[in-house]
Amino acid sequence: MAKDLVNTLADLKEKEALKIAEDRLSAGEEPLKILEDARKGMEIVGKRFADGEYFIPELVYSGEILKRITETVKPKLAKATKIKPQGKVVFGTVAGDIHDIGKDIVVFMLDVNGFEVYDLGVDVPAQKFVEKIKESGAPIVGLSGFLTLTYDSMKQTIEAIKVADLRDKVKVMIGGGQIDEEIRKYAGADAYGKDAMAAVNLAKKWTGKE
Amino acid sequence: MSPRKGTKPIGTPSTYEAREKRFYDAVSLTKPDRVPIASFAVMFLTRYSGLTNAEAMYDYDKMAKVWKQSTQRLNWDMAPLHQSMFPGPVMEMMGLKAFKWPGYNLADNALYQYVENEYMMADEYDEFLADPGSFTIRKVLPRMASVFEPLAILPPLPFFAFGYSVFTVVSTFAGIPGFPQMMETLIKTGREMNRYNAAQAQLVKDLTSMGYPCITGGFTFTACDWLCVLLRGLKGAMLDMFQQPDKVKAAIELLVPGTIGLAVAAAQMTGNRRIMIPLWRGAAGFMSDKHFAEFYWPSLKQLLLALVEQGITPMPWFEGDYTPRLKYLAELPPGKVAGHFDRVDKKKFKEILGNVMCFWGDVPPQLLVTGTPEKVKDYVKELIDFFGDTGGLIVDGAVEGIPAEAKPENVEAMTEAVFEYGVY
Repeated sequence: MAKDLVNTLADLKEKEALKIAEDRLSAGEEPLKILEDARKGMEIVGKRFADGEYFIPELVYSGEILKRITETVKPKLAKATKIKPQGKVVFGTVAGDIHDIGKDIVVFMLDVNGFEVYDLGVDVPAQKFVEKIKESGAPIVGLSGFLTLTYDSMKQTIEAIKVADLRDKVKVMIGGGQIDEEIRKYAGADAYGKDAMAAVNLAKKWTGKE
Repeated sequence: MSPRKGTKPIGTPSTYEAREKRFYDAVSLTKPDRVPIASFAVMFLTRYSGLTNAEAMYDYDKMAKVWKQSTQRLNWDMAPLHQSMFPGPVMEMMGLKAFKWPGYNLADNALYQYVENEYMMADEYDEFLADPGSFTIRKVLPRMASVFEPLAILPPLPFFAFGYSVFTVVSTFAGIPGFPQMMETLIKTGREMNRYNAAQAQLVKDLTSMGYPCITGGFTFTACDWLCVLLRGLKGAMLDMFQQPDKVKAAIELLVPGTIGLAVAAAQMTGNRRIMIPLWRGAAGFMSDKHFAEFYWPSLKQLLLALVEQGITPMPWFEGDYTPRLKYLAELPPGKVAGHFDRVDKKKFKEILGNVMCFWGDVPPQLLVTGTPEKVKDYVKELIDFFGDTGGLIVDGAVEGIPAEAKPENVEAMTEAVFEYGVY
């Protein structure tokens, strides 16, 4: 009986999960099917995170296991195969703030949920968001920030998007340690997300995938 | 931000001794004459007087001048943490890579920030555990500041010099590429650091003679954060917790005496027995309760108990949500630890910790930056009404004390509210 990759990954059994992936691959199984199971495992991880059963260490570790499975499977993937993304998201930590923990986790969760994320990094000037929105045509923008100085940076970024005549073309979500509903109003964003799963749910809602 | 207008101190006058007593009364859960207000404030104090964050980090004298002005005007019970205003020139001269700061590589009004990188790699635990001194000098320092890069060439320190080689090693300092230059830079940087230290010492003297005790005599870190934030960085540390948990625990244990020693030395040097401990990865959300009990709490508890035993008042800064961890804090001796809180369920706090720890906090940054003076006053009044029955309350902002971007009128309202509603 084929061992269950979905649950092994969801339970964070690194060695076992990798072994199953390798065995299935050498048994000639379609690589995409293996990746699909890994994705399902990650969905369970995300659910456990949302339910307060898993925390950041578990997310980081599941990401590492997924990365290693993907590395194992990828060489066997047909070159043309590319999973069609759910939608595009421009994401970054706003100007003045170099914290990347929250941003990285949200980007990662969006990524494993099938979104194509343009990660602009940290301390990102408003104009860089504007340029990337124009270039990518992404309908969703995520602004991350840990410090209180980001209240104004977020406001200025959304203002710059408005000035560039892009405000009605994108939905903007914000999040981070000191962000709440009050700051959403202050900055003029469409939504505030409490954690990474909230960001995924917002993105799904906005792209009509939910 | 426009500089503050008024100069007259808010509230009523007090003395150094009365302010200290008020603070310690609250900490020891005895009703003081009034609710104390004591803040870490960091860069609010200088912004309040019209300086940018960059100016405050680069001009020690200007910084000290406005620090005194703001302290007098706000008339809190403790002068905020002046040592948190790091010296920009020193950091720049040593080529510090572990921080980014305003006036150098961040905008003028940004906050200085630690660059959370892997200064120790996943496969370096054995080396660190076997000889932490050598590891710090040969690996960590060169990775954190460019001035120290030549140190990477040194052999492990126990083998550096002994017996016949004891006099020959001096040539290292003159002959190895980069060393003479490193030492020249260090001497220049050291002189600059002395200038900063002298300005800081003078500031403490001035604040003391103005009647304001300094909030702390220094700081230390808890061992798990030292390893997981300062050395390994979030991603590395969190993988280590699964992939090499025993080594993580061994490294944490190794660091504990250092965390205690740092605090004791700071208290001895400054004569101020209040020591701040910023806490990062222990908050709810950062790790499960199981991981907290396994990796975070034992060394933090050890540190807190050791400091209390030495007559030091530890000031752990519980950043983030600590509600699920309150049950652990209940293990601490009552009235000895001055915990500062960011986000915590206050009802649960009172229920679980009411007889153990004073509540220090927690006017939210969102309110201070975007709210109105009326709303701030209401918030402080509610705090006083809620905790006033026992006297176990010290008022401050939540996460970083007062954010630099707080509206001056909101911070003034927070202060006024304490004088207005806080008299017992």
